Parts: sequence; structure tokens; C-alpha cells
Amino acid sequence: MSSPLKHWKAALFRHETILLAVLLAEWFYFDSVGRRFGTLDNTFDILRHSSEIGLLALVMTPIMLTGGIDLSVGSLLGLCAILFGKLWRDAHFSPGLAAACTLGIGAIAGGLNAGLITRLRLPPLIVTLGTYSLFRGLAEAITHGVDTFTDFPASFLALGQERLGGLPTQAWFFFAVAIAIWLLVHRTTFGRALRAIGYAPEGARYAGLPVERRLASAYILAGVVAALAAIIYTARLGQAKADAGTGYELFAITAVVLGGTSIFGGAGTVHGTLLGVATIAVLSNGLVHARQPREVAGMLTGALLLFALASGEISKRLAKFRARRHAPNPAVPVPAPHSQ
Amino acid sequence: MKQFLPFFLLLGLALGPGCQKQSEQSDSAGGKKLTIALMPKSKGNAYFISCKAGADEAVKEVGADLIFDGPTEPDPAKQNEIVENWITLGVDVIAVACENKEGISTALKKAKAKGIKIVTFDSDANPDARDFFVNQATPEGIAEALMDEAARLTGEEGEFAIITASLTAANMNEWRKHIEARLHEKYPKMKLVDTKPCDDLKDKAQTEATNLLSANPNLKLIMAICSPAVPGAAEAVKQAGKTGAVKVIGLGLPSENRKYVHEGVTQSVILWKTTDLGYLTIKVAADLAGGKLKPGDTVYHAGRLGDLEVKGDSIILGKPFIFNNENIDQFDF
Repeated sequence: MSSPLKHWKAALFRHETILLAVLLAEWFYFDSVGRRFGTLDNTFDILRHSSEIGLLALVMTPIMLTGGIDLSVGSLLGLCAILFGKLWRDAHFSPGLAAACTLGIGAIAGGLNAGLITRLRLPPLIVTLGTYSLFRGLAEAITHGVDTFTDFPASFLALGQERLGGLPTQAWFFFAVAIAIWLLVHRTTFGRALRAIGYAPEGARYAGLPVERRLASAYILAGVVAALAAIIYTARLGQAKADAGTGYELFAITAVVLGGTSIFGGAGTVHGTLLGVATIAVLSNGLVHARQPREVAGMLTGALLLFALASGEISKRLAKFRARRHAPNPAVPVPAPHSQ
Repeated sequence: MKQFLPFFLLLGLALGPGCQKQSEQSDSAGGKKLTIALMPKSKGNAYFISCKAGADEAVKEVGADLIFDGPTEPDPAKQNEIVENWITLGVDVIAVACENKEGISTALKKAKAKGIKIVTFDSDANPDARDFFVNQATPEGIAEALMDEAARLTGEEGEFAIITASLTAANMNEWRKHIEARLHEKYPKMKLVDTKPCDDLKDKAQTEATNLLSANPNLKLIMAICSPAVPGAAEAVKQAGKTGAVKVIGLGLPSENRKYVHEGVTQSVILWKTTDLGYLTIKVAADLAGGKLKPGDTVYHAGRLGDLEVKGDSIILGKPFIFNNENIDQFDF
């Protein structure tokens, strides 16, 4: 077998390739049944509706690469949304200044997660389960569950509702964060450190990696980006209420896992996450255009997730099986083909 | 470079087909069947499912296509997303029961700007975000129905008490104001002895009702004006062994009270016919799109519901409906 062919075969069975095929199949199916599905307007709807969950999924990826998880991002989105509203309405900050402060608040909240996880060595699942309730509870306490922030200036709402340079305004933020996190994870030592931590935390520590600092940065980054998502969410809805972003953490985790990131850490890609987000977003939007009931979306997302995970595992086992058949006697190593 | 491949493919995928189709003409107008999109607050809610039964009936009458969809998850952004999907889909009329008044208004205004007619029902959006609001009942209508029913059951004399959700709830205070006005105006021999809040909790309503019963031995009727309080008060009366001696009425869902109505503990449950609400909403939607209903009209002919009053930009469904032992089994919400 020649090496380029092997290379292609490996690429063919990669998780991202399977997911891309699923996405393409979705796209062409919905485009054939939905008259307006493939229009630019609808493509932008998909982008706008998935920006916030997409942002959360993007920052969830580095965390899950370390073998961690952040269940608090949806609640933090809610808390940041109402704090943004409060700073703007009650403290009379300009939307820009309020947004800057909100990003800072997001960093502090992420820092709280980071501190508990790295200083006290508590498991991320437990810590963020706690802050999941804490952040949502704070948001509800501050607004008494009923106070709603609204009537934001049109210049601010443009962030969530208008276009800038041909794309929905928030898409620029989404793409910027996507590229930044892609570079961070795949092109820096920081990203390699995250994967090393996820693969073997003790090994990473022995190798001299600043495990605590790297972990802390990932959670703080999640806080900041959750705050950014909160601002975009508020602009898109024109409303900030304590229930903003309810359940978003699970959608984000679903997208990341669908994108091929292992929940045990160590393996996963940012473009896989993007494909995961796109697959779910296209499904949810396309079903409306195919005039299918909305509840089908949840069912299909679940089925898709299981299919993607199972097919990845099956192709891996097939490859292993074939490798064993081609090398019947592992004691005598086959001379390595001249490659690379 | 290889890692970038999915990225580019995705981008091409997203933008490629979009560019070709952008110029496709909107062909929803011009002799095509009317498409009406109807959205409940949440999709699994029995109340809205029964609204849909009425909507289905009206859709057949007016010969339109109905899309019925709504949130299945507790995400306040979902109603907006569905409305935006409908805008892109090119529906003719959107009818919504609004969960988030402010939030949904953003999306509805966008739809209105694109020439889509907007109707709200059950709970309104901001007035500038919709054309008409189909109002299931006015505060006066609810209050008068409750007070008149209380008077009928007690022979227009004796003591009664009210259980409300909270003493600050704006809509319930409005109802109480009209109940008391009706009481003073028409039933001088009746006396409101107490009004107790139950925090919208059935347990607390039961406790309050028990206290009311022991504190007021001459009590003839309990009027529960928030829905958990109706079965709560009924349970208290039943456990006190005063079934029939102290009557229970209230605002609530037939399904929650069916058991007590059959046992004779609760005499009447007052609400509107949800099927009529769904029917009227679709009628209004179709006639708004067809130009038969215009701003400024004062009377609206709503098919089998007859002529209904139009107050400004609200269309009033009419008098609330009284569910009792004879008819309660016909309703499953």
C-alpha cells in the first residue's frame, strides 16, 4: 500500500470527515425540501442563532482537552447578561463601557472556577456544578426573577441584529474567537500543554509543565467568552433576563463531544467543535424549513451524537483489525515503508 | 494546511448555495395558499394543545396552511429564533402567545417590517410589535363571571372569602378590584370576610383555606383566583368535612379540578374555552391578511363565534366559560 493512499484512508475515517459528510448530507437534504433553506438570509439566521452556543462550545474545547468540564457557562451567560443590563440601565454606563466591565466580570467568575479547581484541587465537574447554581441563583436574586432589562439603544442592538460588512455583526466576533482558539490549541505550546494535561496530568507535571497555570487560563478564558456571548445574546434578543442561556452548557458540551473531543481529555480539535456546532445548528434550523416538528431536533441530535461516536470507534477498530491481519507476526517487525 | 480543509469546505458550504439563491423571487403572494404560523408559549402545554384543536378547525374553514411550533426547551431565546425562521420561510401571518414580552417584540417588529402580519394571543407583546391582540378575557369579564357565579351558588347572601396568589400581583389585584365593585353594586347581602395570599402554591392555599374555615364558621363560599388555589381550597373543604356546605369556585384548568368537581367539593371552574381562543386567533390572522379586518374596526365577525367586540387593537373573545359537573368531562386541558 503506498503511503499517500494510506494517508487519504486515514483522513477518510477521521472523525471530522465523517461529521463533515453528515453536515453536507443535512445541507443538501434540507436544501432539496426547504424552498428558502439555502438562501443567504437563512444561512445568516443559522449563524446568528448559533453564535452564543458556538462561542461557549469553542471555549469548552480547551477545557475538555484538559479532561475538565465547565457546567457553569450557561448560568454565567445569564448572570453576565443581567449585570450588563444593570450597569447600563442603573449605573448609566455606556453600552461599550458596560460591555468591557461585563467581560471583566466574566474573567472574575472564570477565575473563581479556576481557583477552586487548581488551588483546592477540586474536580471541575463538582466545582462548576456548584457555580452553575451559584451564578444562576445570583442572577435571579439580583433581578428577583422578574426584573427585565430592555430598551437598549439601536446602536447596541445592531451587534445582534444587523449586518456589518455583509455578515451578521456577531459573526465577526464568532469567527475571531474561533480563529484565536484554533491557533491557541493547534499552533502553540499552550495548546500542546492542554492536551498533555488531559492525556496524563501527572506526566505533564513531571515534564515540568505549569499545569495549574494552564488549567486556570482555560477556565478564565471560558468566563470571558461566556461574558462575550452574554453581550451578543442581549443584543440579539433586545432583552436581558435572569433566565438567559438556560441549558446552553449542555448544548455546548454536546457540540464539543459531537466534534470528536474526548471527554477524558487529551484528544480533540477546534475545527471538530465548529463542525459539531454547525451540524446541530443546521439540523435545528433545517427541520423548520422541512416543516418538521421541533421536538424531532433533540431526538436527531442525540442519534447523531451516538452515530458519530460509534462510527469513529468502529472505524478505529476496523483499522486495528486490518493492521493486525497485515502483520500476522508482530514479533518480527515488518520493515517500515519509506515514507514522510 | 490539511487541518484547514474542513474550515474552507464549511465556509464554501455556507456561502456557496446562498449566493445562487439570493435572487430567488419571493413567491408567497399572488393566489397562493395563505400560510399562518402559530406559536404557543411552550409546545407540550395541554392548554395550548387545546388551543391548537380550535386552530385546526379554523384553518379548514379559511383554507390556509397552519404551522404550529413552539419551544420545547426552557430557553427564552427560542421563541425569537422560531419567529426569525418563519420570517425566512416566508409565512404570511405569525400568531404568538408571548413568553417574553420584550424579547419577542424585537423579532416580531422585524417580521412586521417585512410585511408579515402579526397577531398575539393569550399574552400580548409590546403594542407596536403586533397588529392585533386576541384577548381571551378582560379583567371585568373575569371578575364579573366569578362574582355572579358566587352569588348564584350562595343565593346572593352570606359570607365568602378570596384566596389569591399574592397581595401584590397586578392582574389579580385588578380582578379583585372589579370583584369588589360588582359585589357592592349588585349583591348587598353578601360579605367578603377575608382575602388571603397563597404564593401560588397549592399547599399554602390548603392551609389558608383551613384557617379561613375555622375562623369563619358562617363561611359559605371560597373563591380561589389563582389556579393552584382552586384544588388547594377544595382539599381543605373536603378534609374539614364541609363538602357542599362550603362551596368552592375559582379560576383554573378543568383537568386540575375534575376530581373535586365530580365529588361535589368544587362547584364551578371558570376559564375561557381554549379551543375558541385558538379558533379566533386563526380567524383574525386570516382576515387580517385578507384585508377583512383593519385597524379601527369596532366589531369583528368571527365565524361561529359571531360578532365580537374590538377594543382599539384588542379583540375580546367574550365571556369566560363556566366548567361544572355537567360539562367538565368534555374538556381535556
